Amino acid sequence: MNNDQNSFLPSSQPIDIIDGNITSTSNQNELSTLDEPIFETIKRDLSAVLRKFSHALIPRQSLTLLQQWDLWGPLILVTTLAILLQTNTTKTSSGMHFAEVFILMLIGSIAITINSQLLGGKISFFQSICVLGYCLLPLLISAFINNFLFYLPYKSILHIIRFLIVMIAFTWTMYASICFLGQTQHPNRRILVLYPIFLFYFLVSWLIILHTHSK
Amino acid sequence: MMFSNDGFLIDQSSNKNPSQTHLFTSFPNSAVDLDDDDENDRSVENKINNNPSYGYNPSNEQHLSLPLSITTNNIKNEQLHIWQIEYYQKYFQIDTQQLLERLLASMTPQPNKSYFNSTIKHNPDLYGPFWVCITFIVTVAISGNIVTYFHLPDADFQIDFSKITLSAIFIYLYWWLMPTFIYFFFRYYIKFSILWIIPIIWLQWLLTIIASLISGSVLIVTFWPTVNYGRKHFSALSMLVILFIHLLMAICIMLVFFHISDKNINMKNETIILTTIISSTKSNV
Repeated sequence: MNNDQNSFLPSSQPIDIIDGNITSTSNQNELSTLDEPIFETIKRDLSAVLRKFSHALIPRQSLTLLQQWDLWGPLILVTTLAILLQTNTTKTSSGMHFAEVFILMLIGSIAITINSQLLGGKISFFQSICVLGYCLLPLLISAFINNFLFYLPYKSILHIIRFLIVMIAFTWTMYASICFLGQTQHPNRRILVLYPIFLFYFLVSWLIILHTHSK
Repeated sequence: MMFSNDGFLIDQSSNKNPSQTHLFTSFPNSAVDLDDDDENDRSVENKINNNPSYGYNPSNEQHLSLPLSITTNNIKNEQLHIWQIEYYQKYFQIDTQQLLERLLASMTPQPNKSYFNSTIKHNPDLYGPFWVCITFIVTVAISGNIVTYFHLPDADFQIDFSKITLSAIFIYLYWWLMPTFIYFFFRYYIKFSILWIIPIIWLQWLLTIIASLISGSVLIVTFWPTVNYGRKHFSALSMLVILFIHLLMAICIMLVFFHISDKNINMKNETIILTTIISSTKSNV
């Protein structure tokens, strides 16, 4: 390669040229992700979020959600759930609006996080919000199923089926969050930390159960 | 494997030792009140001094859980400001066992022992009242919604989110205003008066099912020992005022959340009657 380059130079003396590319290979060991195409960035973040979804659904491994926390998953889940739960204002009730559900979830997560920190837990603020958001996934799935079940004609059995589905999703959610958040507390105080989480998910599941389509 | 303060997993195999230093003997003597119910604790202290092994003796747990919690956090000696979270940690030094004991004691009136002196005086906590209030709000909101759900036909029912906000406002006003009034009347321990609201709130919760006589007796019983220091008729009058406000609060909650359905049914009957009358007059014409 040196010979080729020498043939283009005006001088006849061979000069030591450091050959290399413009994008030098020495920098690829550092994570400089500024130059990569957007598609790759989105693909990488999306796959991380989807991987965490699978960890939240099948709570066997308890490290990934806490060490590599991110807030994309909770944002997507809470927004979708708030959209699903919207109803209009009627004469007898004020109905549920997007902002109300969103703020309810936000304040609930913040209250649980502050509570666990005050009781001496060894978890940071955003990590626990991340875990609480990801564990909402079963409840979101049950809300989806409930919405589709409305188009079936059998009304009376439907109530019981919807109730059962949401209760199953609720126990699944509690089991997942116990796996993740239960380890961060001293055993004497574990129930004190888990009780607010129980209340929060209980409230959300009742909102899903009592949600009906407006005519 | 434990989590460090900034959330990273670190290997700490020697994790057992910190929990063992928080035993009874590591506290200075001045931190323990020399009251009558500490006679038991002094005998326990002698027993611990005799064993060199600092095990987790289950026989000591009974006495240990009374004045102080077994797991205590490291309280730094520097100045804690109001915006640091450690400032509030001293209100949360409580274990599951202690909390359950306090809740049970607040529900059952015991005229012999003073609830205040035996359980709360050494270690007031803010966890109990706060989460009892939240539980109350959640149950009232959900049950209010369920009642309307069963009374209206399917097409008309929508979730009434305003019930949650309404109940939250009621309960929080009640919880914070009552201790401030009590404080101004008696000039006693304001932190403890926040805790006294636990018995009142627990009893409100049961009031939807049980008669109100029990609640009145518990209120009187819990307040009477501390109030006895003052003049007799003044304390009796203030007791009656507290009781009255408590009953008023319970009645408000009952009316707002559980009896609105009756009004709806009445209205619907009237509209049905009106429409039949109108249609009959129209057909006649």
